[in-house]
Amino acid sequence: MEDKLLEKSYKEKIIRSPYLLLVPAFLFYLIFWFVPVVSSLYESFTSSSGQISLNNFILVFQDSLFLDAFINTLVFALLSLILQFALALSIAVLVNQNFRGSKLFLFIVLIPMALPPSAIGILWNTGLVESGWINSFLVTTGLQGLLEFLGILESIRLWKAVSGLEAVMTLILIDTWTVMPSIMIIILAGLQNFNEEYREAAQIFGATRWQAFKDVVIPIIKPSIITALLLRLISGLQVWLIGVMIFGFNNVPFLVERIVYYTDKVRTATNSYKLANAYSIFTLALVFTVAFLFLRVTGEKKGGYN
Amino acid sequence: MDNIWKRTLLYLLIVFISLSILIPLSYLVTISFSSQVEVNDYPKKILPSLYHNLAVEWDSENQNYILMRKNNEGIYRELYISSKYDKFRDYMKSQLNVDLSTERIEEDFLQAKNTGEPTEFKYYKSFLNNYIKFFTVFSGAERALVNSIKAALITIIISMSIGGAVGYALARTAIKRKETIRLASLIVRMFPMVSISVPMAVLLVGYGLFDSMLGLAIVYSIPNIGLTAAITRSIFMGVSKEYEEASLVFGATGAQTFRKITLPLVLPAFAASSMYAFITAWNDTAVSLLLTNKNETLALLIYKSIGGASSIHYAASGAIVLILPALVFTFLLKNYITQMWG
Repeated sequence: MEDKLLEKSYKEKIIRSPYLLLVPAFLFYLIFWFVPVVSSLYESFTSSSGQISLNNFILVFQDSLFLDAFINTLVFALLSLILQFALALSIAVLVNQNFRGSKLFLFIVLIPMALPPSAIGILWNTGLVESGWINSFLVTTGLQGLLEFLGILESIRLWKAVSGLEAVMTLILIDTWTVMPSIMIIILAGLQNFNEEYREAAQIFGATRWQAFKDVVIPIIKPSIITALLLRLISGLQVWLIGVMIFGFNNVPFLVERIVYYTDKVRTATNSYKLANAYSIFTLALVFTVAFLFLRVTGEKKGGYN
Repeated sequence: MDNIWKRTLLYLLIVFISLSILIPLSYLVTISFSSQVEVNDYPKKILPSLYHNLAVEWDSENQNYILMRKNNEGIYRELYISSKYDKFRDYMKSQLNVDLSTERIEEDFLQAKNTGEPTEFKYYKSFLNNYIKFFTVFSGAERALVNSIKAALITIIISMSIGGAVGYALARTAIKRKETIRLASLIVRMFPMVSISVPMAVLLVGYGLFDSMLGLAIVYSIPNIGLTAAITRSIFMGVSKEYEEASLVFGATGAQTFRKITLPLVLPAFAASSMYAFITAWNDTAVSLLLTNKNETLALLIYKSIGGASSIHYAASGAIVLILPALVFTFLLKNYITQMWG
């Protein structure tokens, strides 16, 4: 009885109506999220005379770089995710032992994820140019000679003089350098919170180390991995900056690169706004489709939130 | 025996990963401290140099001084020829980052003239030269820095006040459909910021917020309100309700209780989510490229600086300026990293 009274007075004192707390957020998203999204959807499905049409999307599909942009985006997002996950998982398992210097290692490994994307662009641009630090490093350490001896390199390599898939692979490697450590940290955190008794129990019941890992450890740390990978996948689909900073516009097209190109680079052309808008709706649809498929495939109903 | 091999392999792997992170960064730092002449050196050094090894020779035939520099291969190469000391002063200042007075140069060079032999000098560089130059060579760099800070602070204010309220409501009140709200905030976080920037440009022009830091902060807040709500929710859940109840029982008002009891307990988490908001705003390039015209942010300025090949060392020092706050905040946030990504 007294408890209930206390509960009531507590609530009354703190908040008159809890829903009031949600009003600012609701208004914010209504004005700055819902309105632009709906207007951009409307815009993308209407012609300039105001009639409903698919013209804008036809313009997008007719854009000479659309197909390249679409394929590059998918290849980048999927390959980088697979590469980063495989590397991150194996390194996390290896490092999941308290070795001397593990704190320092954690510190170093966290640096790349702290770097702003445009700084990463400068970093790798100074490296990939002909007299950049990558070739300097290879020459100074004598690795250049070794690689030439092994037949991997013929001479000083022009890292920026690549195109197509090779350029996308270069960008995937840079992206892996940037974010693989942070995926590893999440897996590592999952492994470190993992109760070793479960694994021991599985092994007592006759499971091999690999079986115990695959069937006991992975399912338990799965939710946090899934969400981390989902967010990675989504930002992978939005790649553009590193590609533009290293190879310039139009050379290695991506979907978001097209959006930026049409809004910023050709702001004055008549169709550019319509094109940029249709591209961004297309990208949006792709992001949600891929996210949906990813969650279906990994068997997670909704993101392991928190 | 097996164990030793495993440990060796482990340490080799750790050293390899650490080096592959540190070596590129070390080169970037070196380039950011390089003078114009060093930028053109090849192969480049991995660590920044503090001084130049120079040599001066008097050419009595042409009545000129010849300035030479020892490059990374240890060979002296001719840099500059003149008979005037102040020309050398200007040359060394702009090309070598060496800031000396004309008198000092005259004194040293006369020494070479009198001996008639090439004379070696070790001149220290003015170390922060590129960083100072970055803010003078790139017009608007200073304003871009102020803009970035401004956009970040507004983002913090918007997402903390709006997101914090949602987090509190989710943790402490009996509102319905909490699951829907949490799902909605995840969807909002998944929403590509670039996709919303295109229609947002039109909207912001309408509100007179295009090319303003408030306009940018609004877009940055879209994912950040959801994130702040998630973080503050878990923090409010962690603070025991009993403290608040005790305070109320002893006669404090609701506002007093919140200020004196709840707030101090949740302050660290508030700091953490502010830092996230800061990082989102500070690191962004795409949104500010699309939604500003003249009012650049620092990240955008760095992005645009990639074009000028002759000034890459200034761009590199700008990149370091951009990196430092992001680095500090990320490390302060280390313990919350799983929340940022998961």
